Amino acid sequence: MREALVSLVTALADDELIIGHRHSEWTGFAPHIEEDVAFSSIAQDEIGHAAAYYSLIAEATGASPDRMALGRQPDDYRHAVLCERPNGDWSYSLVRHWLYDTADDVRLEALQESADAGLAALAVKMRREERYHLLHANAWIKRVAEGPIEGRTRLIDALGKCYPEALALFDSLELEDSIVDNDLLPCSSSELRARFAQRATSELDDFGLPADIHRDLDNSAEFLASSSGDLIASEQEALTTSSRSGIGGRAGKHSDDFKPLWDEMTSTHRLHPDAHW
Amino acid sequence: MSATLADAVWTALGDVMDPEIPAVSITEMGMVLDVAAEDKDVWVTILPTFTGCPAIDVIMHDVEQAVAGVEGVETVRVKLVYDPPWSTERISSEGRTKLQQSGLAPPAAGPVLITDIRLPAVAVCPFCGGRDTANENLFGPTPCRAIYYCRSCRNPFEQFKQV
Repeated sequence: MREALVSLVTALADDELIIGHRHSEWTGFAPHIEEDVAFSSIAQDEIGHAAAYYSLIAEATGASPDRMALGRQPDDYRHAVLCERPNGDWSYSLVRHWLYDTADDVRLEALQESADAGLAALAVKMRREERYHLLHANAWIKRVAEGPIEGRTRLIDALGKCYPEALALFDSLELEDSIVDNDLLPCSSSELRARFAQRATSELDDFGLPADIHRDLDNSAEFLASSSGDLIASEQEALTTSSRSGIGGRAGKHSDDFKPLWDEMTSTHRLHPDAHW
Repeated sequence: MSATLADAVWTALGDVMDPEIPAVSITEMGMVLDVAAEDKDVWVTILPTFTGCPAIDVIMHDVEQAVAGVEGVETVRVKLVYDPPWSTERISSEGRTKLQQSGLAPPAAGPVLITDIRLPAVAVCPFCGGRDTANENLFGPTPCRAIYYCRSCRNPFEQFKQV
């Protein structure tokens, strides 16, 4: 039971820490000063949530939150690959932010009923804060989707990249059976994935964005190819897509994008492991 | 259970200010869930406002200092809990007035409907009382603040976000 809790909460914490780190990279660089503030603040929320999750692990195992966050090897992290992808352009960051926070809302809603009282209370608390992330993401996607064609096209391209990787947020967790049997997560990851897919596609439809072409993982390559409009480029992109399928994060199998992030994020801690923050 | 000691601790906590909003105490913010006292031992239970609030360590430290200074207290234990979740409904009416006086618009009153993802209700300008205001940013300089603009007095201002 304790191992199951640690497995579940580590995945949640690592997602929040790593996407928070990526969001924080917009600080000083966002295309608009208000968005600079927004992404910095969202990053602070996500990293704060990670800290709260790590504290929950600390209560169960005694492992220090700082050491959990910064003192592990890259393949010890259990975040989904989506979270570690570089920010890319603004449309990619927005679409990832929207997909991630929609997915997070789906799982927080379920976690409110967790058999672990500490985790359930945290989920209730965080969901009240995450609501602002959803407000922000929805407002932007709606605005860009209703705007000129270039913005729409970029959103659609970014969806093609992000959506399959967002589904991988709900890949089975280590000790999934024990996590679900003990009601730590009151339903399976695949059930959550179905809820997320249904909600995301219905909202995309409301935004007037194509929703039906993203439905399953196997079609992502095909979609990317069709959006490029160039047959040779399509094949190349399809190849890249299969190698960047975005699966495996929950088992510690990360993409090449994670190592540089990890190097930077943990550099101070590795130099001074006993420093107080 | 020593009621008088607990009362003295509550009074002391009334002097612990939120470091990010120095005009308002943590009791006015509704952050103190419980004070228990037995002989010379005191337990204080704190509700953090926002989970990611960086001020929380400072607040815990200030609480410890303040309670340790109360006559008759020997040990202090400060605990952080998330249940019940802190909500802006916990801010007292004095707290709301002080927020406004310090230039921070108080949060919209009442409970938050968690599934409501429309833009927040209009905030009242803390400087001129104007209601013709526009949300410029759902986020601000701290996790708990949003940025507005007042079209009446043409000042930007911040609002404590409703949670």
